[in-house]
Amino acid sequence: MPWGAQAYSDASKKVTEAYVPEGKNLKAAWQGIQWNNFYQTFASAIASKTGPAVSTGGGFQAYQFAEQGAIAMADDVVATMKTNGMFDDLLPGVLEGFKTKDGYVALPWQTDMRVYWYRKSLLEKAGVAVPTDWPSLLEAGKALKKIGVIGFCTGSGAGNFLGNHWAVSMLINNGGGVWTPEGDIDVVNDRNQEAVEFMLEMVSAGAIDPGAVGFTTDNMDAQWKNSKTGYGMFGAYLPQRVGDTSGDIVAAPPLTGPNGDKTALQFVNNIMMYKNTPDQASSEAFVIYYLQQLKGYWQQALVGGLPVFKSITELPEFTKDPNAVQIVKDYSPIAKTFAARGTASTANTAVLDGGQALNKFAQSILTGKTDAKTILNDFATGLKAAVK
Amino acid sequence: MTTLTGGLSRARRGISPGGHGGARRRTSTLKAQTRRTFLGMLVPSVVLLILINGYPLVYAAVQATHDGSLIDAGSFVGLDNFSTVLASGAFWRAARFTLIFTLVGVFGSWAVGLAFALLLRTRIPGRGIFKVLLLLPWVVPIVVSSTAWNWLVATADSPVPRIFEALGLGSPLFLADPKLAAVLVCVFKVWVSFPFMMMMSAGALAAVDDTLYEAASIDGASSWQQFTQITLPLIARPTYISWILMTVFCVNDFPTIYLLTTGGPVDATTSLVVYAYRSVFQDFQTGPGVAVAFLMTLTLVVVSVILYRQIRRAHVE
Repeated sequence: MPWGAQAYSDASKKVTEAYVPEGKNLKAAWQGIQWNNFYQTFASAIASKTGPAVSTGGGFQAYQFAEQGAIAMADDVVATMKTNGMFDDLLPGVLEGFKTKDGYVALPWQTDMRVYWYRKSLLEKAGVAVPTDWPSLLEAGKALKKIGVIGFCTGSGAGNFLGNHWAVSMLINNGGGVWTPEGDIDVVNDRNQEAVEFMLEMVSAGAIDPGAVGFTTDNMDAQWKNSKTGYGMFGAYLPQRVGDTSGDIVAAPPLTGPNGDKTALQFVNNIMMYKNTPDQASSEAFVIYYLQQLKGYWQQALVGGLPVFKSITELPEFTKDPNAVQIVKDYSPIAKTFAARGTASTANTAVLDGGQALNKFAQSILTGKTDAKTILNDFATGLKAAVK
Repeated sequence: MTTLTGGLSRARRGISPGGHGGARRRTSTLKAQTRRTFLGMLVPSVVLLILINGYPLVYAAVQATHDGSLIDAGSFVGLDNFSTVLASGAFWRAARFTLIFTLVGVFGSWAVGLAFALLLRTRIPGRGIFKVLLLLPWVVPIVVSSTAWNWLVATADSPVPRIFEALGLGSPLFLADPKLAAVLVCVFKVWVSFPFMMMMSAGALAAVDDTLYEAASIDGASSWQQFTQITLPLIARPTYISWILMTVFCVNDFPTIYLLTTGGPVDATTSLVVYAYRSVFQDFQTGPGVAVAFLMTLTLVVVSVILYRQIRRAHVE
């Protein structure tokens, strides 16, 4: 999958083709699959028994295909990692989510963190401190609006899921979320209502642009690049993404919710193995090899996510970016996934991630024309209709 | 003349000029051989068509009546998926938007296309260049034009909202307001589609004899009368054909909507095809999503039959 520019794909291919198997293990070939319609591509390949032995993929793809009996569990790989030091090298919270009742459905290789960012010069101009909790977030949003810039940058336009992610992260940041610890839907509750009411307040106060519901990621990139926004949520490496590494765009600390909860939202990108493999032992040996080569991606700055291994976060190529270091320090230990309040994701988490219900939920908030209770009830109804 | 007509008439009835029995048998044998040859030539095409169109249709029917996924068909559930879909408010909202989108798309693009076709019929300088320029919306890949339109309207700083503001009409957020987004998508569809209608109309207008207009002018008919009494009736048949085609294009149009709004905000621009796509590939509800596709196909067949009858009537008239 293209996890970065073409240079990433080239490097990934090179790593794969450089693999020299030991003993009777098989060699590996590389194939790039585009993000467009990736689920269909994998599904039809698996159905026709022409799928890969090992792949990266969508954040919850492994759970979906595991439910359909196509995934080979990675318990033996985890066992090997425990013997070669790789297990102890993992950052906290990156592996637990993959453990299901049948075993580990996949292995982590990078995390896609949702990070709060601010533009230093604009906050100074607005005369407000960097937000640390919800009231200061609202205050900063209003102050930024007063100086003619967007107080909180988000969007839910075509192909933009950042609005969805912010909405869920706010639920989780208030001790709420979409699921019970057992994985059942639990959307309409007091914590979630409090969070939605706060987000609606952000909209009605003008801290969020009235057009945000239609903003694409390109629109948001332009707003950050052109100093049209002072604060907002994005992935890691925002300065590099928008081409402003002057130090004016800085990673902000995670927010503390009104009930004292302090969390962040992350997506743990993973490597999965499929049952349709010429040799399972070869798949497992290749996965171990591939995970051992990951540091090269950060040494060459080829990916937009954060590493899952502590050793990579200690590389000089990584520590030279103070934002990345701060994110790993502040966000990683408290990060949760879409599965919160549970830990392990399921196939239903995939329905939440890309589904219509969440998109409508976020857009209803950003449109600001409906009350919190109605928005949550609609979200619950939509989600219940979609999950199994 | 009479002999030729009589000969043709006999030939149509399979009667040889001499009318002898042996000749009739030879003709009959020849016809049987010809039929076999035709059938032999048709079989590969028919088999290919069945494989290409029939198999996916049958497989889709299987999916629409099962509760499985893209990988596994699952269990047979009869018409449950159809009843689930028909009981869903989201389906009917999507159907309503599809109807509006199609009506605006078909008649809007036809009106604009016909207007340009009539304009280009006059002897204006640089007609060829105009023709090429007017075709651009149809020729440019939709992914490019949707990005351009997004740039034109997405934020308050975009060119179109700024023009509105300069005109004292406020600063409309076309992609944020559900009603404006629906209008925008429909206008975008008209913009993308009018060149097709222009070409269809231009082709039809070329077949209209200019002397009819000259005669009508001599009789004192106004331009409007000429348009309504001569032009429209004479281009009725190709017009109906273009309506059928555009109806199919609009109902099945996925990229125009998806690339501009993804069906939002808050489902305001979700058409049936977008709804079906999102059901199958985002909610992973394969059965209900395919059921929507079947219902769309059924509706299109009905609409096409109605319009086809109009074509036949126009032909008779």
